Amino acid sequence: MKPRFRFLFPAALAALLPACSSPKTAYVEPGSSRLITSVDQVNIQDFAQAADTMVASLIDNLINPGQLRSGVPGEPALLAISRIQNQTGQQLDTDLLVKKIRVALLRTGKVWTSTTIAFGGPEDPLAAEEQQLLGKSAAGVNRRPDYTLSGKIIENTTRAGNIRQAAYVFQLSLTKTPEGIAVWEDEKTIVKQGSRPAVGF
Amino acid sequence: MKRIPMLACCLLGAAWGLGSGCSSTTVNTVEPAVPTARREMLADQRVQTDASLARAVRVRGVNTATDAQGFLRVQIEIENTTRSRKQFTYRVQWFDDQGMLISLPTATAVPRALEGREVAYITATAPTPKAKDFRIQFLEPVTQ
Repeated sequence: MKPRFRFLFPAALAALLPACSSPKTAYVEPGSSRLITSVDQVNIQDFAQAADTMVASLIDNLINPGQLRSGVPGEPALLAISRIQNQTGQQLDTDLLVKKIRVALLRTGKVWTSTTIAFGGPEDPLAAEEQQLLGKSAAGVNRRPDYTLSGKIIENTTRAGNIRQAAYVFQLSLTKTPEGIAVWEDEKTIVKQGSRPAVGF
Repeated sequence: MKRIPMLACCLLGAAWGLGSGCSSTTVNTVEPAVPTARREMLADQRVQTDASLARAVRVRGVNTATDAQGFLRVQIEIENTTRSRKQFTYRVQWFDDQGMLISLPTATAVPRALEGREVAYITATAPTPKAKDFRIQFLEPVTQ
């Protein structure tokens, strides 16, 4: 090898390395495809994907056919959040799923969510107190929810050799009150396979 | 002399790689010769910066429908033109009648995989009746 070419390879390598290595810490858009994906955890993109599917299903099967009914004419239907069970082995805040659905439903202009009537107590205690005071006076009549949202997150894992597989099943039901009839139900399964966590999917 | 065993090792490795990881799986389908459903196809505009992905995952057509409540529904017919499984992600963006992006907490890149020669559909429902336009982005899977 000629002496002047001897330094060419290390120089080229040194030039390539900084370009290929990723920075130690960086901001990533929550909706991007560069988020960390792990097999044994429900990642934030899984919640977003499940919520997106559920909202689209609600619009397609209940809102678009005109089957969503409101107790007060001219006002959107009122939804109360019931029990969302976490049946996975992980500690999850189910609001990662429910809040996304609530926000998306609110923006359809067809659904409102009650923050004073919810499973496990009111989300907004002060508003609930105000509502109670109003209910006791002769002037006001509290609006009751037209629907309740309940569901489960279930985990199923298996492995073959080094490859692990985890299935996360998101089940939701919308119940018409006070009849207690499920007028919409859906299930979204997210299956992940891999041996170790990775960035991107 | 040293080159021959090295070459043999490379060939063996390549053959093993092809045999195990890259086995081709193609899809056979059956459907009515004269479909009863009529689709309203949309003229689309494409910006392709990843030529290999655009070649592998080809958009065959886009059709839309709007229901009584005003929610726009979009269906994109895609085809994997290769003989092997192809993974990609897609993201749907919605715009109002003034062309402003509608942001939502549910917006995310959705992973999808197609078997060789498979034709599939991506469907999306607008999150609000205000959504009048859409854009769909396709991306190769990003893994590090």
